[in-house]
Amino acid sequence: MSEKVLTHNQWSEHLLHAVAELRQHFEHNQANLELEQQEDFNKLFAGSQRVDEIRQSSPNADQQHDLMNALAAIKGYSEMLLEDLAGTVPALDDALNQLLKIIHSANSTEPEQTSAATPATVSDPGFILAVDDQPENRELVTRYLSRAGHRVVTAASGEEALSTLAEVDVDVVLLDLVMPGMDGREVLRRIKEHAEWRATPVIIISGRQDMDGIIGCIESGADDYLFKPFNQVLLAARIKAGIERKRWHDLEADYRLQLERREKFIRATFGRYLTDDIVTEILERPEGLDLGGDLRNVTIMMSDIRGFTTLSENLSPANVVRMLNRYLGRMTDIIMSHHGTIDEFIGDAILAVFGAPKQRQDDADSAVRCALEMQAAMAEINAANSAEGLPEIEMGIALNSGDVIAGNIGSERRSKYGFVGHPMNVTARIEGVTGRGELMISSNTLEQLSGDYQMGESREISVRGLQQNLVIHQVLGDSND
Amino acid sequence: MTDSTAILLVEDNAMNRDMLVRRLRRAGFSVITAENGQQALDKMRKSMPAIVLMDMNLPVVDGWTASKRARKDDSIAHIPIIALTAHAMDSDKANALRAGCDDYATKPIDFPDLLEKIRKLSTP
Repeated sequence: MSEKVLTHNQWSEHLLHAVAELRQHFEHNQANLELEQQEDFNKLFAGSQRVDEIRQSSPNADQQHDLMNALAAIKGYSEMLLEDLAGTVPALDDALNQLLKIIHSANSTEPEQTSAATPATVSDPGFILAVDDQPENRELVTRYLSRAGHRVVTAASGEEALSTLAEVDVDVVLLDLVMPGMDGREVLRRIKEHAEWRATPVIIISGRQDMDGIIGCIESGADDYLFKPFNQVLLAARIKAGIERKRWHDLEADYRLQLERREKFIRATFGRYLTDDIVTEILERPEGLDLGGDLRNVTIMMSDIRGFTTLSENLSPANVVRMLNRYLGRMTDIIMSHHGTIDEFIGDAILAVFGAPKQRQDDADSAVRCALEMQAAMAEINAANSAEGLPEIEMGIALNSGDVIAGNIGSERRSKYGFVGHPMNVTARIEGVTGRGELMISSNTLEQLSGDYQMGESREISVRGLQQNLVIHQVLGDSND
Repeated sequence: MTDSTAILLVEDNAMNRDMLVRRLRRAGFSVITAENGQQALDKMRKSMPAIVLMDMNLPVVDGWTASKRARKDDSIAHIPIIALTAHAMDSDKANALRAGCDDYATKPIDFPDLLEKIRKLSTP
């Protein structure tokens, strides 16, 4: 590898020579090229002109960056043209390939790319802010630290240091104690007062005679110190320790942010279906609730507005939505206040479950009380409807209890906490025979009730998939009300 | 409102920006550009691009800082960022990843490699 390395001047000469050759072939074939390809060539030539300009001026760091960009542009256009021409003009192909070869060798002479020229990085590279009023000190620190792979920003005064901190996220601050204007102690005080900067380690630089000053700084939050003139090895070691401290802090802050973001997501996802206290409980129990799918004994509620489809045909779409939202909004509030989980709304129908994800002693009773409150709320909803000239509505509610599978159901792209099982179908069947304003419950639910209720008539219905007829019971009210 | 198929290219050097825009457009992408880190953040929030290619050495707000800020802003934290680093220095790569970039490409860009990285990050 080393025998092929060209000097800076050699390869830029090579490059310009190759471009000149390319230009000859280009001019010769220009008539056959599409407009876009001609433009690409011209941009490539502009890039080489920039290389020439840089070559003739004195080298500095900015130009190194500029040169790199010019080479990148030439490379990009060359590759694009090679692809585009696809061998239609062999002479241009050859010239472009030659150019790419030279750019490749130019890049491999960049000092950063050769492993021998890269100094051993003593520590994890970081962003260092060096604050010193003496330009030669800033330069020295910059040189030491960049050689170790760090990125260095400098500030010539306390004021400048603070405005840099506001702009750039730094890992360690190297702070000279004695400066005109705002001195190091004041900068330190402001850093430690600032909520976002407080965790950034500060290393104080001071003269050997100022031990009292250093002690004062450490007392007010400085992490470390160095005497002037400082030793390179000591500086590297302190910086390394500082960066490590900052990394741990950043990691911790990242974790916290991640956790907060996750919690927000969970609240937003489940909050639409579950009451706040259930979401809080899921989040606070370290093992969480097992939402992977398990068998649960629950009480299922299904309700709908009788004759809603016919009703909605005579209303404007806006009025349908207004009516539905008033109704569903009120029902959601009632269901959540009784710890029910809303599985879904299907048009005007509501499917809710009591007993999952969290099981309670009185799930069946909660469901019955909830249903009675829902029926009672219809008067108020109808009053609001009438006031707006909208028709009155009546609702039927069915309850059934049994074992269902509860869990996150769906595909990876779309899933929700939901329920499956025969009791769900039975509930739908009961709901189908429930009349206007009625609350009908199955025998299974009745058995689980511990409260006293005024019961109405019982009916027998047949359900597909069940050999025996099902007995359902009307609930008229709560005896304690 | 949002441009979920666009690439946001953040590059201060006009010559290089121009080249990459032409190349990316020719590869079938719609491209929007920004010239510094602050503009990049503004355009991310405004246009919601599918992916961001961000040079790290930028004026006003540099690429590292812009990436860190993007990661702290919930509205744009999900947009993948590929860092375009000046040279193959390990410190640049490490800093890019630490700043929250999803991947990096070294300049001068290996274009097929860059396309592969874009493809990988823009298919969920």
